[in-house]
Amino acid sequence: MSLSDAEIAVVWLSLRVAALCVALSILPGLAAGWLLARWNHPLRTLLHGLVMLPLVSPPVVTGYGLLVLLGRSRPLGRLWFELTGVHLAYTTTACVIAAAVVGFPLLVESTRISVLAIDRRLEDVSRTLGRGRVSTFLRVTLPLTLPGLLAGAVLSFARALGEFGATIVFAGNVEGETRTIPVAVYTLLNARGGESAVLRLVALSIALALAALLASFWLSARQRRLEAT
Amino acid sequence: MQIAARIQHRVGAFSLDVEFASSGPVLGVFGASASGKTTLLHVLAGLAQPAKAEIRVGERLLCHRPGGVSVPPERRGLALVSQDPLLFPHRSVRDNLGYAPGAAQLLESEHGARILSVLRIAPLLERGVRNLSGGEKQRVALGRALLSDPKLLLLDEPTSSLDAELAREVLALLGDVKRELRTPMVFVTHKAAELLALADDCLVLENGRVAAQGAPLSVLQRPRATSVASLVGVDNLLRLRVHAHDVAAGVTLLEIGDAQTLAVPLSDEPPGSWEHVGFYADEILLCLELPKGLSARNALPARTLRLDAIGHEVLVELAVGEQRLRARVTPAAARELALREGCEVVAVIKTSSIHRLGGA
Repeated sequence: MSLSDAEIAVVWLSLRVAALCVALSILPGLAAGWLLARWNHPLRTLLHGLVMLPLVSPPVVTGYGLLVLLGRSRPLGRLWFELTGVHLAYTTTACVIAAAVVGFPLLVESTRISVLAIDRRLEDVSRTLGRGRVSTFLRVTLPLTLPGLLAGAVLSFARALGEFGATIVFAGNVEGETRTIPVAVYTLLNARGGESAVLRLVALSIALALAALLASFWLSARQRRLEAT
Repeated sequence: MQIAARIQHRVGAFSLDVEFASSGPVLGVFGASASGKTTLLHVLAGLAQPAKAEIRVGERLLCHRPGGVSVPPERRGLALVSQDPLLFPHRSVRDNLGYAPGAAQLLESEHGARILSVLRIAPLLERGVRNLSGGEKQRVALGRALLSDPKLLLLDEPTSSLDAELAREVLALLGDVKRELRTPMVFVTHKAAELLALADDCLVLENGRVAAQGAPLSVLQRPRATSVASLVGVDNLLRLRVHAHDVAAGVTLLEIGDAQTLAVPLSDEPPGSWEHVGFYADEILLCLELPKGLSARNALPARTLRLDAIGHEVLVELAVGEQRLRARVTPAAARELALREGCEVVAVIKTSSIHRLGGA
């Protein structure tokens, strides 16, 4: 099976969007996961709900929300345009934002659970051995969270590859710019004679998703091995 | 190392309210579970913030609240070792040992080599922490704490998650640490034998209060705190000098009274050193004359000092030379032997009913 140049461009765009999505969300994901595991405050439940919302709300709704927030004629979207000279909506950046928001709950939840599993007495021991809060976080908390964080990142990468609903609303269907694999499949399905191309893209996207899932399982198993000690 | 502390701290319904001073070098903290031992260590380590406290270790003021002084745990120099080894699972044995600032360099120094040899962890250095045994893990945890070069080692029941044999091994290592490395310690335990073996001074906690303080043996012999009495559970605790070993007979003879010896199970303490032994009041038989054909190795002439009828039992206090023993008999036996104060009797004690509790 060989891909046409247009199809290679679609796959390449999808991989780039997914990678940027993970790069953009990994630090906020770590912060949110840690906060949701450790912050003892009544508002925590509300924050948790907000973070998880994109997981259960229809992606089209999430996309519409992003459009309302960051659309070209909206205050925030206009502010961005004035600051940078480029628009957000209907660009590759919009694809990345849409994928990041939809995949965020997966990243946060995986991180949150691995932070919860850390025996906090390890952090206490680290303090009495002469390491301060920041040093303890970097030397104990972060390494023990890492497999969970990475498993979440891989899941969010796979989710980004499959993202359709929010993308089509917020980023549209611009060839070479926002036409990712799912959008391309949707477009080809509506065109005449696109079926063999659809099959190729579908096979590829199933293979990528499966590989990502296996990687995430492997990382989760590593996490459990750390916890078993 | 002088420790002086005055602490008032609440955790939920529990309150810790203690005041003590000790010059160690090993301060034992003894008490039942939920007496506040662990809480006290956490407050000393700076892991719990008390409402009111003044804590000094050596010359240094570690905490003065209210008053605005609270040195964070990482700058107190008090390393904590708990009952679980709590090794960092993502690091090798070597990386665990070298965890504290400066510990990696210390590990390579002569002092570091001594710590490794006292704890016998040199062969474990390149292993991962996952496949160490329980005793090995605890030894590494002790090494990690000692390599942080602490001013004081805080030990929270370091043997209680180990089986009896490993617990003895770790206790012996702690004795070596005390003798050879001279690290001062605060040692929390609920085992009387460990207290006797390691501590120089002893603080008894009961419901978050200091119930007694003093030399371990005297605190255990006259348990004013009821929880201590039930923890000790042994009515006769003696510290006696080793006279000789009789390997063929399987006994060690300890000096008790004038020219008298007490035969106890074979010990490894050298003659002239001290040994702690304990046995229950029920284990003593009282006779009016020296019995013949006796399997028990000990028949000690004694004098009765006091009789106390407690419920359906009579507690008899005996003097054997300078030592005091407690025997428990039935009221019928006391009547038949016509026991009263000042009787001459013979106390018969089986060697195998005497427990050795450790040297020093």
